[in-house]
Amino acid sequence: MARIILVFNKKVIKEYPFTKDSLTIGRNDTNDIVIDNLAVSGLHARIDKSGDSYILTDLQSTNGTFVNDKIIASHKLQHKDKITVGKHLLFFAMSQEEQAKLKVAELDRTMILDTAQHKELLEKQAREKGVEASSQKPMLGVINFIDGSDQGEIKLTKKLTKIGKAETSEVRLGGIFMPPTAATISRRPNGYAITATGGKTKVKVNNQTIEDSHFLNDFDTVEIGSYKFQFYSQESEEEI
Amino acid sequence: MKLRASGISDTGRQRDGNEDYFAMDNAHGLYIIADGMGGHSAGEVASKIAVEIIRRNITNWMNKEPLEDELFDLADPTLGQMGNYILSSIKLANRVIYEMSNEYNEYKGMGTTIGVLAIMPSTVISANVGDSKIYLLRGSAIEPLSREHNMVAEQLEMGLISKEEAKNSPLRHVLTRNLGSLDTVNIDIFEIEPREKDRFLLCTDGLTDLVSDEEILAIINQDNDMEHICQKLIDEANERGGHDNTTVSLVRIEQLKDKRSGILKNFLPLFMRKK
Repeated sequence: MARIILVFNKKVIKEYPFTKDSLTIGRNDTNDIVIDNLAVSGLHARIDKSGDSYILTDLQSTNGTFVNDKIIASHKLQHKDKITVGKHLLFFAMSQEEQAKLKVAELDRTMILDTAQHKELLEKQAREKGVEASSQKPMLGVINFIDGSDQGEIKLTKKLTKIGKAETSEVRLGGIFMPPTAATISRRPNGYAITATGGKTKVKVNNQTIEDSHFLNDFDTVEIGSYKFQFYSQESEEEI
Repeated sequence: MKLRASGISDTGRQRDGNEDYFAMDNAHGLYIIADGMGGHSAGEVASKIAVEIIRRNITNWMNKEPLEDELFDLADPTLGQMGNYILSSIKLANRVIYEMSNEYNEYKGMGTTIGVLAIMPSTVISANVGDSKIYLLRGSAIEPLSREHNMVAEQLEMGLISKEEAKNSPLRHVLTRNLGSLDTVNIDIFEIEPREKDRFLLCTDGLTDLVSDEEILAIINQDNDMEHICQKLIDEANERGGHDNTTVSLVRIEQLKDKRSGILKNFLPLFMRKK
């Protein structure tokens, strides 16, 4: 349970346990924390418990409410905050369990860092660890036909590259038994993967026929029917 | 094409409200998930706005095939039509949330993650911003179709921390991208070729914080009843503390190609009696 400790002239006057959902502070007798002093407004301020946190609100008092010597309208109280009302001081104290709980809750809250902040943080960490903070350029896959056909080198700039006889294929291959789409290469979070799309034409990676998807490593050799090409990746020009 | 989907959103054990939101549309093969953030109820508003704007725009465009200049922002030439609908609708949602949070005090600082999955007979497209995840489950393997945009993922990529350190890092909830904090947004997008019996899982970090990829795979492979699986995933997260809202949405391709395909398709109605 949190507590409010009322202090005047460096002496503790009274301690108030936080037993309700909100406590009011003021000169009137009806307040939870009564401070009989002319510098304090009748109804001066209020502290509300909201979940695991405590919010202090100034109720438009004449002389204002201060937290750690700064004037506030509304303020989320931290452990050991010093609240000034007139000439009186109120110290806000949380129990250890509450402090621990709040810490965990703050970490579990999702937050967003703006780009400048997060770049700075990463660069700082990289310097401390002595790792070269490489400007993160994405890797671009390339296939290079080595079967003597005139296809040459093709960059896999699309997310999904279709290989086959169809006119809409990014890589068009001929041949009587070549299906409209014999295989596709997709750029996935874990790298480039080739998928055999079925049909009579076999797709082989390093001489092994593949049934489904297969992640491509640098210099893997792929055969589709009589065509043969090699896969490798290079640093891309584009930024992420 | 025949799709089946099931999804659950759960508040969890420790939060008061649910800031997650999701949508499933089997008719358009469109599945969307969002995890909102921001004080009071602003997080709930952000995730709902994002999902609804994206769903409405994509389905509208799918129905009427818009001109290129009707799309929000420039088209990406490396993507097909659907890929561009998705990118454009996410950018639009980002702009709306961004402007709302600047315009109104009660929405200040609101934002959301987003995950969009579109399943078509020829292609499956996944796009995401933030740390909500999209997985492909094919055969006995699980594979991400999304990239995490948080500090920990970037630290891992740069080799600054180990996988073990990443698991317990206090920075795992610090996003480096979301919808709503800047006027433009960078979106990761992937396309793959679908296969019959492929399953896709969209989920928020309430699940992936507490349940590992391998455990998710095991739970999904144990059962055939999709509603059952979703409930099991939620229960697992809650049993381990349920510190956050958890949303899961599971989709399965029951049948990829219409049985009436090829040339017969055009003539079948002629000699089949109407029911």
